[in-house]
This record gives sequence, structure tokens and C-alpha cells, in this order.
Amino acid sequence: MASPIITLTSSDGVDISVDRTVAERSVLIKNMLEDLGDSGEAIPIPNVNEAVLKKVIEWCDHHKNDPPTAGDDDDTRRKTTDIDEWDQKFMQVDQEMLFEVILAANYLDIKALLDVGCKTVANMIKGKSPEEIRKTFNIQNDFTPEEEDQIRRENEWAEDR
Amino acid sequence: MPTGKKGQPPAQPRRDVLASLKMASLEQVVARAALPAEIMSAILDYLDPVDLIRAARSCRLLHEMAYDDTRWVQRLKRIGCWDETDARKHAEKKFGTVANMDIVEAQEGVESLTGPTPAIEVNKAAISDMKGVSDGFDKIDLASTVPPPDVVESDLEDPDLVVLKQARSIRGEARQEYGKIHGALAPFYYDITQRGASGDSLVFSKYQDPQSQAQMLSQLVSFSKSDVSQGWSDRVNRLEEALSTFERAALNEFRKGYESDDIDSTMKKYAHVLFTLNGGYSAVDLFIHHNHLVTRKTELGTVGDCLDGLTGQIKIKNTQAFLTRFSVAYNEEVAIMNRVFPASLDMASAFMEKVGQDVLCPFFAAIFDELHRTNMESYLTAISMTFVQCMNLSEALLPIRNAGDHFDRYLDSIVIKIYEPHIDTYLAEEFAHFKQNAEGIVRDWDRQLSEQAASTESYLMSNVNRQADKRDFLTSFKKVIMMPVSILPSFSAAKPSDEIKSDTESTPLPAGTRSPYRFSTISSPAPALEIAPTSELAAKAAIMKSKMEGIRSLFSIEIALNLVHSAKSSIERAAQFVRLGDHFGKAAKHQCAAIFVSLLRILGHDHVIAGFDRAVDHLSSYRPREQGERDDSGVEPLVTFLELVNVGDLILQMVDVFYEQELVGTRLTDRGDFVDPAVMAKKKFEQILDERVAAGLNKGIDVLMEEVDYILATRQLATDFNPGVSSDPHRQTMDVGISDAAAAVVDVVSSHTRMLVGSTDKSTLDVFNQEVGLRLHTALCKHIKRQRISVEGSLKLISDMNHYFKFVQSLRNTELLVYFKAFRELAQIYLIDPSDAKELATIIADADRFDGIWRAEEVYEFAERRADWFQVKRDVERAMYGIGCSLM
Repeated sequence: MASPIITLTSSDGVDISVDRTVAERSVLIKNMLEDLGDSGEAIPIPNVNEAVLKKVIEWCDHHKNDPPTAGDDDDTRRKTTDIDEWDQKFMQVDQEMLFEVILAANYLDIKALLDVGCKTVANMIKGKSPEEIRKTFNIQNDFTPEEEDQIRRENEWAEDR
Repeated sequence: MPTGKKGQPPAQPRRDVLASLKMASLEQVVARAALPAEIMSAILDYLDPVDLIRAARSCRLLHEMAYDDTRWVQRLKRIGCWDETDARKHAEKKFGTVANMDIVEAQEGVESLTGPTPAIEVNKAAISDMKGVSDGFDKIDLASTVPPPDVVESDLEDPDLVVLKQARSIRGEARQEYGKIHGALAPFYYDITQRGASGDSLVFSKYQDPQSQAQMLSQLVSFSKSDVSQGWSDRVNRLEEALSTFERAALNEFRKGYESDDIDSTMKKYAHVLFTLNGGYSAVDLFIHHNHLVTRKTELGTVGDCLDGLTGQIKIKNTQAFLTRFSVAYNEEVAIMNRVFPASLDMASAFMEKVGQDVLCPFFAAIFDELHRTNMESYLTAISMTFVQCMNLSEALLPIRNAGDHFDRYLDSIVIKIYEPHIDTYLAEEFAHFKQNAEGIVRDWDRQLSEQAASTESYLMSNVNRQADKRDFLTSFKKVIMMPVSILPSFSAAKPSDEIKSDTESTPLPAGTRSPYRFSTISSPAPALEIAPTSELAAKAAIMKSKMEGIRSLFSIEIALNLVHSAKSSIERAAQFVRLGDHFGKAAKHQCAAIFVSLLRILGHDHVIAGFDRAVDHLSSYRPREQGERDDSGVEPLVTFLELVNVGDLILQMVDVFYEQELVGTRLTDRGDFVDPAVMAKKKFEQILDERVAAGLNKGIDVLMEEVDYILATRQLATDFNPGVSSDPHRQTMDVGISDAAAAVVDVVSSHTRMLVGSTDKSTLDVFNQEVGLRLHTALCKHIKRQRISVEGSLKLISDMNHYFKFVQSLRNTELLVYFKAFRELAQIYLIDPSDAKELATIIADADRFDGIWRAEEVYEFAERRADWFQVKRDVERAMYGIGCSLM
């Protein structure tokens, strides 16, 4: 069955046509279409700009045949998935874009994409020192040196082997 | 919706999505993307603990999120050393009822991870956390820790080996607990995941003792469950590889130990190693699958041993020996098991199932199949006998530790498994066998009957006290029935008599039934006696048979006995399976009932009822006058019939005892259950029997009365009541004895009525007696009206009447008595001298005198039979009508 085409409007006013099944990877859009019916009007996606939206749609298109995620069981989801090869390549973007994609996934409620994003970020953190982490995430160090030392002492078990 | 961290719009609830769309504006362009706390937290979930702690050091927000207790509790849960109830108990103890609300709130705040304003709580949470660190330890008492492991002492030497066991479940301190575990296990874990299963990895180099190695490996397996960061599956696979290599090695040692019977050291040691490693199931598996009991099962005995090649009989002793050997071997294995395996390991069911399936099942299946093919009877006995043996087996077997109450259930389920495939066939065969057998007996008997039908039948009319005989017979019958189930001949030589008994019960009787009919009339000594019956019942049956020789031509008590007997053995065999309960129990019960019903059908309908029908036919076609030669004893067919009633009643009682003893006594059926087929069949049988008896009695009375009429017609001499006409010059003038005819009539009637006493119930008897009495009365009326009676002969008449009266008195029926009293009165009208015609008239007219039995006209008719009637007629009539006139 050919899936109907729907139109999404990005925050910067660009219309993008997309298969309904692809768009419905987003729980937000899916619910909206179910609640309102397909009026043929373009659906505005106010929080996502064209570039990010296209990226997200690319992901959705690739994953349109995935089985629906097995419920909300965080533990099993986290446990069973390593990032697959395609996703790894997909996520090889600059950090800004990565964060935008994560935010868009969060906004559009695409759980699997959000997970992939989070995992990618987690891999970025892996093995970094606190200072490097701060740099990566643009974080201010709001600890006093004593406090930082205390935390380290509390967690001696986690010192490098 | 995401809570903005920096410059994000406020959260929009999803249901207001349209509103939000309308409000959409171009201002939304995000200059520098930063992630909301929620997403940060999700990201932290994917970090391994070391990175997590480093992230915690980067800023307060991340510190707060990373320190979040639930995060660590979850890790502990994955490892499997977080006990929720323990944690709750601990929290209650710590915070009590009033408690420090601040701390409680902080705790709750921490627990509800997605609090809307996490940043504000950072300090508080951190402080409470630190408090927990500073003072938490003092408050912990030993009770809250997991009880010290009972495994092996060496564990306690190295705290690393028991770190998981000692982990505590305390809210707020999950991170510290995890830290301890991580500190202890992570070096081993990462080492083994990098080096793989090689022998020089840290686990094996640090610990020499396999027990400790196993302990550590099993901890690592638990620990690996908390590893969810990138690449975890590879690491876990490596660990598992290492584990299985180790397991194989240990298992090998274990096996060597078993094969060389090194039970207490090697086997035990490695059983415990494997138990610590992963519950020891592989060891149990190995033990069970390579069990000596299974591999050496041929030593227990073979199928061929248990079958008698020539007769196709099963050798019960050999199967018992097989089972005994089995139980000995089994007990040995159980002893090993109890010594070798840790107590908490439950292997009873698996072991028993395996043994049942591999040793017992094929053995019995082979026996049953063979027997089923060759010898049906032996098949039937074999099934139930071995079943009983199996059930007894449970007493010989040592219970396996831990099995406890379940042990019997396991055993039962195994026995069920053995018999499951056979039970349906068995029950069907049992039923068919019984039916065929019973029908065969009856048919055989019928055939023999028709063969000798041509030969004249003579009946013995022994004047025995039947009631006493029957009671006697029934007592012994009851005794035999109640005898304990002799399905399984006891093997102790002490009681060989049992075996003989059960043999003689079944064998001599059929022999006894067949032979005598061929030689008929000579009351030959019962063949059963020749075999010197050891059982009381057989003896009694023999006596009974010789006494009841007379009625054997219609149906036979021995046949009944035989049938009941084979039903008994069939039912008892089948009833063994009732204790299986459930489906099979029901099926068995059902089949028992079916056997009983078919017993009733064959014994009752095909045999007894058919006999009764023949007897009734016989009776109705009987014409006494056509019978040339007569003997004095009575009406032959009626005698036969009454004997039949006796025997029928006996059989009925036998069935009744049987029913009580075998079906109700063993709770196979419920007496109160009216829709139960057995109960219904029994009722119906009784009813039909009663009907036949009634029909027969009806015919019997007809025949009896014809006999009476015949006797009166032929034996009553004209001179009896009118001696005046006699030509005999020497006659005595005053003969007051009873006439021959009267004596004969009373003899005939009373002999028949007596015969019924004790055979049918009292009401039937009363009805019968009454009917006989009334018909006798009518017959006598007619008879008197045929006589001519002189004054002189009236004395004889009176004594005749007295004789009848006495007889009727013996029937104990007051109603009847009235009729015969009337006869006595009536006789007096002949005694009155012709000169007293008036007196005569008074008597004739006095209806009260005869209790209203006759009207005056009828009495007048009697009076007409006076020899001198024509002389007195005028006077009497005048007197009568004169009286009549005066009355008017």
C-alpha cells in the first residue's frame, strides 16, 4: 500500500514532503495525525530547522521498517542495543548538529533516535578527564578545588587501573 | 517535554500542540545547542561507572545527577544484590516515624529523578549523601547484612570473594556499596575480558583453589550484568567463554571422580565448585545422564527373565527381584547424591524422572507389550501386579534430601508415567476380558444344558433347612470377599497358603461346574470336594451344590460364583489404579463400575432371569393331570421354581455382598449416588428378579391349585363323608380321623409354602400365602358342594376342616383364618340331626356365624349337600321362611 505523502514545515519555513509511515516514526507527529486526521495541510515543526529536520527524516526513512520499540522498559532497551554501523556513520556529524538531532528527537518523541544520540554522546565522554568533559559540553567548573578533591576521594575505586 | 536549561521555551504539554504550533515563531533558532538535564541524565545512563565518576567531577549539576542514588541502586539490582525489602526495613529503622524530615525529603527528591528544578537541590542532596557516608556505617548492624554465606570456609579469607554477598541494601549508600563491589571485581572483570579464558588471567593466577575460582567467576557473571556501556556484549561473551572452559574442566574432574568412585573427595569437591559457579546444574545433569543406575541397568534383570517362555506367564517373583535390585541400586545412587551435592540443590525430580524413563519404563513396556501379544490373561495380571509392586517400591526407596513431601508425588508421577501408555488399553482389555469370559461361561453352560435337556430331570427334594444353609453359605462368601486383596501373592514363604487359596478359588470351581452335568442324576459327590477345597468358600459351594442339585438345570449357583469371582479379580486389579487419582483414577473407577454392570447383565439377565423365564414357561405349560406317573413329593415345576427363587435370592444376596464389599467398601462408587450406573444396574436387577419371582409365583399358584383340585377329585372317596352308602360291611360307624384327600392336600400345599420361607421377603410371602389360602378356600367350597354328606360323615368333614384350619393357622395370616373358621362352623350344619330342621334353618340364616363369608343363600346351597336334604328340606324351608315371616 502506497503510503500517503504529508508535508512538514520546518522552523525556518521550508516545506518537506515525506511518507506518512516515515513521519510516523515520530510519536508526536503520529499522535497528531491520529488526533486531527490528515487534512492535507502542512504540519509545522516549530522547534526544528530544515537541516536538522532533513537529517531526522533521513534517519526515520532508514528505520521505517524497524519493529516498534518494546515498550518503555529502559533496562532492556539499553541492554540490547549497541549502535549499529549505519547509525554510527549517521552520527558522524559535528557536535552542534548531534545535539540538535538529539533535541529534535526528544521534541518529536523518536525514542530510538534519542537513544542512539545519547549513546553517541556517552561514547564521546568515555575516557575523558573532567576538564575535557567540561570543554565538550561547554560547562563551567562550579566546584571549589576542595570539593572536587572530596569527590575524588569518595570514589577512589574508580581511579584508573 | 524538555525543561529548558538555557534559553529554551517553557515546556508545552502535548495536548496543547495546536496552540504551540500557532505560537511558533522564528525566534526559536538555537544559537548554541546545549542539552536539557533530562537528556544529560539519559546520557549518563550509558556511561560506565568510571566515566560517570569523572563526569561527576566536572560540575555540580553532573555531580548531582551522577550521584543520584537510584542510578546506583539500579546497578546493584542488575548485579542482583539489592534487596528491596531489606532497604525498606533499613530506611524505616534509620528514619523512624518522625525523623529528620529534611533528610526524608531530600531522599525523596533524589529518588524522583526528573524533579523540575534539579539544580536547586544539588546542595541538599549532596549534603545528605555525605552525611550518609560519615555516619551511616555506625548505625548499620549485622542483621541488615546478608547472612554470612554457608558455603566454604576458605571464602571468608578473601573479602573479594564474598563482596557480593556482603553488599548491603541501604538507600543513599548504593554508590558506596557499588564502589566496594567495583573495586573488588572490576580488575578481575576487565582482565578476564581482555585476556579471555586463558589460564593465566588474574582470576586463575590469584586464586589456586577451584572453589575460590568458581566463586569469583560466578560473582563476575553477576557483575557483568551491570555492564551496559558500549561493547558490553563482547565482554560478556568473553567472560562466558572463560566460564564454560572452567566449567568443562571442573565437570571433567567430577566425572572422573564418579567413574573412579572417588565420591567423598573429588566428586564432592567439584560438585560444590560447580554449584558455586552456576548452581551446579551441569554436574547434576552429568550425574543423572551418566548415572550408573542407567548405564548398568541390564544388571538389574532382563525382560526375558520375567517371562515364562512356555506358558507366557509373567514371573512375578522375577519382577519383584528386579525392583528390589533396582531399589538397592537406586538407594546407592541417592546416598552418593546426598553426600556429594550441596543440600540446597534440588535434583530429586530430575533424577527420578530420568531413572523412571530410562530404566523402569522400557522394562515394563517391553514386558507388557510381549504379554499383550501372547497372553491376555497374564497381561492383565501383570499390569496390576507390577503396579502394586511399583507402589510398594516407594517404601523401599530412600528419600532424596530436600524432596520432602514432594518425594511421594514425584514417585507417583513416575509410576504414572510408566503406566500411562498402558492404562487405557489395560482397562479396556480388562473389561473385554471379563465380559468375554463371563459370556463364555454362561454360553457354555447353556449349551450343556440344551444337550442334556432331552434326558429326564429328577429333582431332589431334600427337606433341609434352606435358610440356615443360605446364611451359612453367605457368611463364608462374605469372608472370602473380604479377604485382603490377593493380587500380589506374598513372597515371604511364611504364607504360601494365600497363594494356594487364590489359586483354588479360581480353578476348581469351573471344573466343578462342568463335569457333573454330563453324568446328571446320580447325586455324585461334588467334584469340588475331590480337589479338597482349601478355601472355605469352595467347600461350602460344593455342599450347596450337592444340595441344590435339583435346580441346576435352570441356572447354577456355581456359575454365579464363578462370575462373581472373575468380576472380583477384574475389579480388584483395575481398582489398583484408582489411587492414581485424576484422570486415570476416574477412568479406573469408571471401568470398575462397568465391570460390575456387565456382571449384573451377564449373571442377572443372561443367566438368572433367563432361568426364571424358562421356569415360568415350564410352569405355565405344566398339566398335572396329563402327567402319568406322579410322586408324592409335590408339583415338580413348582418345586423347581421355588428352589429357583431360593437360589435367585442367594445370588442376589451374593451380588449385594459383593457390591458392598468391592464397590462401596473400597469407595469405588457411592451408594447414595442414584445416577451411578452400578447402582442403577443393581436396582434394575433386583427389580427384574422380583418381577420374575412374582410372575412365577402367580403361575405357581395356578399349578398348585390345579394339583389340589386334582387330589380332591381323585382321592376323596364318596364314602368319606357319607359312610352310609358304603358297601363295606365292616366299616366303623364313627370314624373321626381325617380323610386321605385332606391330608394330601395339606401336605402338598404346606410343603410348597414352607419352601418359600426365608427365600423371598416377607411381604411377597404374605401375599403368596394369602393367595394360596383364598384359592384353597374356593377350591374347598367347590369340593364340598360336590359331596354328599351324611350326619355320620360330618364328623370326618369336621376333622378335615380342623386339619385345614390348623394348616392355615401355621401361615399366620389372620384374615385367612376367618375363612377357615367359617368352614369349621359350616361343617356343623351337617351334624344337626334331621329332626332339628328348625335349628338348621337358624344356622343357615345366621350370617354372623360365618363372619359374612357366605350369604344365607350360599349356606343354603351347602346345606343342600346333606345326604338327607330331601327329608329335611321342607322343614328347613318352612322354618326359614317362617322365621322370615315372623320377622316381617
